[in-house]
Amino acid sequence: MFFKTMGIALIIGGFGAFGLSGARRFERRVDELKNMRLALGFLEKEITCTYTPLSRALDRTAVFCEKPVSLLFQEGADLLQAGEGITAGEAWRKGLKKLARDSSLNDGDLQLLNSVAAQLGMSDAKEQKKVFNLLQEELRMQEEKARDELKSGHKLWAYGGFIMGSVVVLLLI
Amino acid sequence: MPGLGKELLKREILPFFAQPVKHLLLGLGEDSCLLLEEIRLRCGQPLLLKVGDRDYTLDSRGRLSTDIFSGYVIGEEDIYRTIAAISDNSLYAFEEEIRRGFITVAGGHRVGLAGQVVLQGELVKTMKDFSSLCFRIAREVKDCALSLLPYINGGSGRTSINTLIISPPRCGKTTILRDLARLLAYGSQRFPARNVVIVDERSELAGSYRGIPQLDVGPRTDVLDACPKAQGMIMALRSLSPQVIITDEIGRQEDVTAIQECVNAGVAVISSVHASNLDELQKRPVMRELLSTQAFKLAVILSRQNGPGHIQDIVRWD
Repeated sequence: MFFKTMGIALIIGGFGAFGLSGARRFERRVDELKNMRLALGFLEKEITCTYTPLSRALDRTAVFCEKPVSLLFQEGADLLQAGEGITAGEAWRKGLKKLARDSSLNDGDLQLLNSVAAQLGMSDAKEQKKVFNLLQEELRMQEEKARDELKSGHKLWAYGGFIMGSVVVLLLI
Repeated sequence: MPGLGKELLKREILPFFAQPVKHLLLGLGEDSCLLLEEIRLRCGQPLLLKVGDRDYTLDSRGRLSTDIFSGYVIGEEDIYRTIAAISDNSLYAFEEEIRRGFITVAGGHRVGLAGQVVLQGELVKTMKDFSSLCFRIAREVKDCALSLLPYINGGSGRTSINTLIISPPRCGKTTILRDLARLLAYGSQRFPARNVVIVDERSELAGSYRGIPQLDVGPRTDVLDACPKAQGMIMALRSLSPQVIITDEIGRQEDVTAIQECVNAGVAVISSVHASNLDELQKRPVMRELLSTQAFKLAVILSRQNGPGHIQDIVRWD
């Protein structure tokens, strides 16, 4: 009887934890989109107001923001500072790959961030401002969508895990 | 004149080039490096090197060739990567330089830019879609102006006299002006040191990078980098108490007015001007006016007869 009760608890607990982790991903995506938007605002100011060279601007932005968002900027800064003939676009794309491994951003979010790679640093300050303003606006829209998904998806995953666990237990019994 | 050796080329120039071009340039011999004056990248055209007085290209094996159509053809990617490296991937930080048509890199080497020019009204706003880059290698030839010092410092050696360096392009006038600044600022037993101001409108004399001179212009030299000549001379006069002002390539009416003001204030002006000889100079109204004021007491005429920096003639007007 003891083992049976333990097994039921483990199955429901396991499925529940999986569901909670899925639900937490929704929250993290919203947080990361917000952090990314703020970080891009910081980077934009570094570029358009103080004309900081891109490698240093990325480095400063990495210090300004939190992980995992900072991974994108730190990787970009490190690659550019290494001075091995890499372009800003290539450094940005490598940074995005690193970010993708550790973040909750979805493919759509990452594609949006990837869209600025070719233009990064390679125009005057006014053009750079346009690029960053557009990207921030698009990220804001993604963030709103992510918030909507959080409302519905969070409950579904959080409760869904426990419910699924219970169903499995019932089927096994 | 000695030039840039291979080590210097590797250290100061090659890091800016895209990998295929860098690879080819690495094959240059020491002799060619010493005479290398320009590296030109034009989109869709062969890589061109000016070595001494001749144009060469590098073929796919990195060998120098005078048949320029056998050379490595520069692609858009080469230009893009090179401009990205020159600007540290930050073209926005070089808006003023791009507007002027060149970027000076560490070491004082100048990169001329060509591409699509964007206008705002009648003024150049910026340049985009770069199609050509021209690396002009900065040369520092110490003591090349040593023989001019006794003329410029006059008999007593206590004051310098206003001097005009007359020279066609590529005869070494910038190199000689730079060395004069250095020699005057260091001084010697015979000639006391001077406070020198270089008004370096095109960042060529001192080769400044981020405001810091990259070439040796002496311990008593102030550099007004990227400053219009006429304004710079007046600024220097008011704030830097110079004994000598050195500037390159005068020719506008406002330059004449500023020189006159410096001369009236007792400050010596040493400048250069584009011309092959005095007759050619006299044909230009602005220069004729300047010469008629008798502001300059000495003219040094350069040519390439025995290579850059050859002193063809020295004319005294006092």
